Order: sequence, then C-alpha cells, then structure tokens
Amino acid sequence: MVIVRVPSSNIHVRMTSSPSDTASPSHPEPSEPVGPRSVEERFRALVSSVKDYAIFMLDPSGNIETWNAGAERTKGYQAEEIIGQHMSRFYTPEDLARGLPGKLLAEALREGRVESEGWRVRKDGTRFWADVVITALVDERGVLMGFAKVTRDLTERLRAQEEQLRLAHAEEAVRLRDEFLSIAAHELRTPLSAVQLQLQSLLEQANGLDPRIRSKVERACRGGERLVTLVDTLMDVSRITSGSFNLRLSQFDLTAAVLEVVDRFREHALRASSVVTVRSEGVLEGRWDRLRIEQVVTNLLVNALKYAAGTPVDFVLSGSESEVTLTMSDGGPGIPESDWDRIFRRFERAASMRSFGGLGLGLYVARQIVEAHGGDIRLLRPQPKGAHFMIRLPRSPPDGAAR
Amino acid sequence: MSHTVLVVEDDLDIRQALIDILEDHGFTAVGAPDGAHAMQFLLGAPELPCVILLDLMMPVMDGAAFRQAQRSDPRLAAIPVVVLSAYRDVDRHADGLDAVSILRKPPSVRELVNVLRTHC
Repeated sequence: MVIVRVPSSNIHVRMTSSPSDTASPSHPEPSEPVGPRSVEERFRALVSSVKDYAIFMLDPSGNIETWNAGAERTKGYQAEEIIGQHMSRFYTPEDLARGLPGKLLAEALREGRVESEGWRVRKDGTRFWADVVITALVDERGVLMGFAKVTRDLTERLRAQEEQLRLAHAEEAVRLRDEFLSIAAHELRTPLSAVQLQLQSLLEQANGLDPRIRSKVERACRGGERLVTLVDTLMDVSRITSGSFNLRLSQFDLTAAVLEVVDRFREHALRASSVVTVRSEGVLEGRWDRLRIEQVVTNLLVNALKYAAGTPVDFVLSGSESEVTLTMSDGGPGIPESDWDRIFRRFERAASMRSFGGLGLGLYVARQIVEAHGGDIRLLRPQPKGAHFMIRLPRSPPDGAAR
Repeated sequence: MSHTVLVVEDDLDIRQALIDILEDHGFTAVGAPDGAHAMQFLLGAPELPCVILLDLMMPVMDGAAFRQAQRSDPRLAAIPVVVLSAYRDVDRHADGLDAVSILRKPPSVRELVNVLRTHC
C-alpha cells in the first residue's frame, strides 16, 4: 500500500497519490511508456513492496509523507497511524535531547545526503540498530521539496558483530589465563628444582652421609618430588575445569611411552617394593597427545605404587585396527564397586584422606584426558584382587579433539 | 674432546647446583646467567665446550634467541645443546631448537649425567 501526499509542483522523484491516479494533474509528463503499467507505477510498486528497507518520504520539515512495507515491518507502524507524524518519533529520548533529528535533516540539506547509524525506537518501544540514509530532494530551481529516508534494520548484524567480539574477548581471556598458568607453573617449579637439585647433589656425596642424615635428605627429596607433581596437577585441573584443555596430537608408539613412564618411576617403584612389568603386542601407534597420555599412565602408576605398595603392577597393551587397549592391574586392596563411579570425580578417593596424601585428582585428570581423546577408562571386576583399570583409546581422536 | 659443559641458566641456585653436580661427576662446568653471557663466553673461549645445557626462559637473551645466535656462528653451530626447562610442555617450547635432548626441571641426576656423557 502506498499513501502519498503529493507536493504541489514537479519533483524529481515523483509519487502520485494512488495507483489509480495516474491520469491526475499531479502527473504532468504523460510521455511515460504506455503499457499495462507505467514505469513510475512499477517503481512505486517496487518501493512499496520492499520489505528489507524502510523507504519513505518526509516533507521539508520532517513530517512523514509516504510509507512502505519495509517501514511497517521495521518500525511497527501502519501507514494510517504514522503519515503526517514527525520523523523524530523514531528517535530515542537521548538522541532527541541532543537534537539529532534536526541535525540530520540540516546536514542532509547542506550536503545533499547524510548517513548515520544508531538506535531507533519501534512503535512498541523496543529499539533496533538502524542504518539511515536521508537524501534531500530539491526541484530544478533548488527549492527543497522534502527528504527521502531509507532505513535498514541492522540489529541482527550488530548482534552478530557483538557476539563475535564477545567470543574474541573470551578467547583472549582464556589465552591470557593459560599463559599465566604456564608461567605460574614454571615459576613455582624453578625454586623447587633448585631444592631438588641441591638435595640430589647432597645424596650423591661420594664419602657417604651419616645414614640418619641420608634418610632425612631422602625424605626431603621425596617431599620435593610430590610438590613438583602437585603443581602440575593443579595447573592441569585448572585448565580442564575451565575448558581450555587442548590436545597436541602427534604420532607415537604407546608401548614406548608406557615403558618410558615406568622407567622414570623405577626408583619410586623400588621404594614401594613393587615390581612393574609391561607386556605389549609390540609397537602400538596412534595420534595422541604424548604429554597427556604419559600423564594418564603416570597417575595410574602413582596410585598403584601408593595404594598397592609391595604388590606387582602390570601393564598390558594390545591393539586393533582402530583402537588400543591398556590395562593396569595391581595386587592391592582394590576398589569397592560402590566407589567405582565416585573415584573418577574431582577430589574423590576410595581410601581415607588420613592414611594417604594427595588431592584426589589423579583419576579425575586421567579420565578427562582419555575422554578428550575419544576413549574411555573404567574399572574391571577384581580378578582375584587388586585394582584393574582398562583404558580404550581410538588410534586417532575424533575431529575437534585437538586445536 | 673437552669435558667442559656450559650451563646457561638464570636461576643462581639451580645454576650452582648443576655446576656442583656436574663437577662431582667429573665434568668441568662453566655457568652463564643468560644467552648473551653464554655467547660472550663462547666467542672468547680458547676451547669450546662439548655440550651446552640450556634453559629456555631467561632475561636479556632467552634460550631460543641464544640458539639462533649460536647456530648462525659457524664456529659454534655444531656444539650440541641439551634443553633443560621448567615448562610443563617443554617439548613444544623446545620445538625448532634442534636440541639433542630435552629435559624437564628438575631432572634426575642420573638422567642428566647420562645425557651429558653421551656428548662429552
């Protein structure tokens, strides 16, 4: 629908009062092509039907003269209720207070056109982000006939941009936090390293230490080792819980990785009087995050050496085309079935806090890592006793597991 | 071949502990608090060390910058470098440095000595 108030004289952009008025005196150039409908008519129909843009005309003082489907859709007014009203109706109280409508019209008059973006108000009071172009319409003698106003609702685009910005900020915050954690872990580890090295060098004394002093130094050394591990665990948990836990995948042999961890814990196993064995089909390659997978093996092994000290610990590895399986069994007290679910949660453990130290995070971290690789970790029924863990790892993690 | 190990490490306590340990195990050890001092030492040294034990995070000239400087000097480029860092993902930080070995702090003395022995 087009409702038009026609200015009295000839204008460059011509609109007539209604499609049936084509022969009225306000249409002084009947030289338009003949046919079922004139170009002007078709143009008017086009403007009228455009839904994505509010296209309407203002008289020289800014009162609304025409209205199209897009204007109705964007601003919520029917033609009947808005024609004759001043365009300032669409502006926010803040913009009205600074006289924005008048300023825009003045600039359009001075420069020929003005473009602006800002919040505008719909009939129902809600706001939308508008891209507005106001063009001054002058006749051949340079007399202002009014203004053409084209408004586009860019709220969605603005929201998308804001969302993008918000995401970028969030990613940046995560990056900064990770960087902070990395540096914090490094800084905590540095003095611990100094302590560890000094203690180790004391233990290395060729002349031999007084046995009582030696055992004290050894205990200090173990305390240091535990602190070092705790720092790592805390940093990992912080990353896991904040969701910024990215895998760095590389192709490697799981058997070699397990052997390496076991070798690293040789002295630890000796102290725990446990014999650790690794049985494997051979090379079991896959794409995983080596550091993380070694950590899973470490956490299982540390638990076994802690809770099942004095019993043998066995790792068994096997593989199929698509996945590898790693089981670890010890001969310790085992874990009651009622606790199977609980022990993989944060700060949980099956044993009492008093008799065993630690944060209760090892299995939680292990499960998060295994699941991030698209695998699973579970307990198997004791056979005949002890704890039996089974880890299943696809040879390459599902898409999106690594960044 | 010389038995001198150049220990490039900014933390004085760690540097001294490493030097002590290495000397206890029959090496000659020289310390440098950062990459720049290490380069200075290497450029003036009549006899080059058999291996460089290199920390990564250091002031003035860090491990990566030192390695770049060292590799661009034909006289020094061939000296093997063992990276020793407190970084959690030390492998990633040492990526591209072409180190003969990568150790994480604190290393076990056994591991450290074994690695260095293969080069001295």
